[in-house]
Amino acid sequence: MSAEPGVAARGVTKRSLDALLALHGAGAIKPGARYDALARYEELPARAIIRGGRGWKHDLAKLDLSGIVPFDRDGAELDLETLVPAARRAGVVIERFSLARERHRAEFERAFGRAFDTRDDNFASLALAFQNHGAFVHVPAGVVLEEPILIGYEAREAALFPYTLVSLGDGARVTIVERLGAASASAFVCGIVELVVGDRAHLTYVADQRTPADARLIFNRRALVGADAQLDVGLAELGGGHAVSRFRALESARGARTGVTAVFFSDGDQHVDLETETVHAAGATTSETVVRSAGTGRGQGRYLGNIKILADAHGAEASLRDDALLLSPGAHIDSVPALEIAANDVKAFHGATVGAISEEELFYAQSRGIERRAAERMIALGFFEPAVARFPTDGLRVAIRAALENKLAPAEVESSV
Amino acid sequence: MSERGLRISGLTTSVDGNEILKGIELEVAPGSVHALMGPNGSGKSTLAFSIAGHPSYAVTGGSVTVDGEEMLGLPPDKRAKAGLFLSFQYPAAIPGVSVANFIRTARQAIHPDDLTPAKFRAMIFEKLDVLDMDAAFLSRYVNDGFSGGEKKRLEMLQLAMLAPKYAILDETDSGLDVDALRAVGNSVNALRASDAGKDIGFLIITHYPRILQHIAADRVHVMMDGRVVTSGGPELANDIERDGYDRIREEFGASVG
Repeated sequence: MSAEPGVAARGVTKRSLDALLALHGAGAIKPGARYDALARYEELPARAIIRGGRGWKHDLAKLDLSGIVPFDRDGAELDLETLVPAARRAGVVIERFSLARERHRAEFERAFGRAFDTRDDNFASLALAFQNHGAFVHVPAGVVLEEPILIGYEAREAALFPYTLVSLGDGARVTIVERLGAASASAFVCGIVELVVGDRAHLTYVADQRTPADARLIFNRRALVGADAQLDVGLAELGGGHAVSRFRALESARGARTGVTAVFFSDGDQHVDLETETVHAAGATTSETVVRSAGTGRGQGRYLGNIKILADAHGAEASLRDDALLLSPGAHIDSVPALEIAANDVKAFHGATVGAISEEELFYAQSRGIERRAAERMIALGFFEPAVARFPTDGLRVAIRAALENKLAPAEVESSV
Repeated sequence: MSERGLRISGLTTSVDGNEILKGIELEVAPGSVHALMGPNGSGKSTLAFSIAGHPSYAVTGGSVTVDGEEMLGLPPDKRAKAGLFLSFQYPAAIPGVSVANFIRTARQAIHPDDLTPAKFRAMIFEKLDVLDMDAAFLSRYVNDGFSGGEKKRLEMLQLAMLAPKYAILDETDSGLDVDALRAVGNSVNALRASDAGKDIGFLIITHYPRILQHIAADRVHVMMDGRVVTSGGPELANDIERDGYDRIREEFGASVG
């Protein structure tokens, strides 16, 4: 017998998994796979964040999940955009993850697990075990959607374990914006995003995360990019108290192209831990990674960026550019870009900077009548702009700029002209 | 005598503990054009930065007033609001901030709410035209990847858009080709011919007299070793063109580094 849901079944234990399955059923992930994943979560080590990093207070190995309730009694609603009729006629699928295997078995099974083997990561295993939310998007071969698809997740009292599975057939094109918010200040979210991009397809995927200041978030996202396909990924990690965001793209076939853009801005006591990795596994693949981050207050950040060019990736071209701006003496950002190159005839570039706003820029703006605080805000916003400009849709860029602006000395807003 | 004017008296400034300005006396009346010439190292740019309020230049004495209001002690933005404008010799780049946004913000700071967005646009297009600049310039990031000529044109665009009371042009002619120099001259002359610009007092700091062939100076001052050593009419610039600074150096015995 399972425990009374929501009362005794706390924590990420077998007992609470029993309760989750009793309440909601297994959905698209079979019970056996869930129990296996839970066992792996318990066995696999949590990769510790910077040991002894200055000001870093979170250690994933010591993360206490004993208090979380891993399901929502009512089943929180997923905010999925309804399809325009033309898209539906073209065979585009947008489905709640739990119903996806049942309703779209062939499409689901072709994609599920192709880009993401959760067995090598403890939190991906945890997310798989307790998956209680999610979306499946499938765009058939040759179908081009002009309007972006919006997927909204909102965490409440219960922990959220979303799984987003996106599959694009050959030559398909779509933009997907995944928005993560939280109605509860102390939300816990542990999610998986799996992106399968068919040959010559073009997927633009954005994660727009703006949860409250105490939320804890761990996201693992992985993509498989096909021949001559294009993947553009944007990660806006602008909320949460402790946000872990990991992205990995595997360029598995010739001519695959990946663009990764990420912004984060740690303020207050926020900790953001971002990792991106692009693996060039085939010839003539390209990747371009642009990361802009800032820290203010006692905000902490870490960016670990890796470009891997495997031995067969002849003619690969990769660039990684990472710049961090420190706006207060208490803020700290570590930046660790890395290149691993096993092929000879490749072009690879990486560069990283961490610094403060230059006095010369400030003086220049002030000499034009712009008050110092306003000049700092302007320069800091401008610092993010090369990354923000790479995000799709005007609405998204405006929203990201506004979120960044809010973090820039919001108390000064009334006093500035 | 009216209080109007940019007045610099007894100004002394140190940089890293070395006294660079040793008591500058200068007065620029509204609508007048003064040229300040001098060899490298005489302290011309230090004077410009001291007037504008650069934090690295420690003013140790004297006074700088704009129409009677003391500037020393004010932050740079307050000095700009009081009517000062400095055209930089080496303007800073502000990546990610567009020229249009920057100038709009500056205009709004100095002349709050005096222009509708439509009027602002019309005005900036008119000024661009005088400077022989393309509208695409407006969406570029401030001085980011600009050529020397583009940077100076942007300084002149800001000067025209901000319409200050007193403008200091620090080596605006340096590094410019003939076309860019002519564009700078046209811009300043067009501004001086306009209602908004006819009362602007100019202090044109330059090493070479050639900019004065495009902008006519009423007075020419020569600075050496942190002091204004001599002043005269436009003919003084011609003397310098002919003889260099040697004759003045001999005459006034200034030690110049």
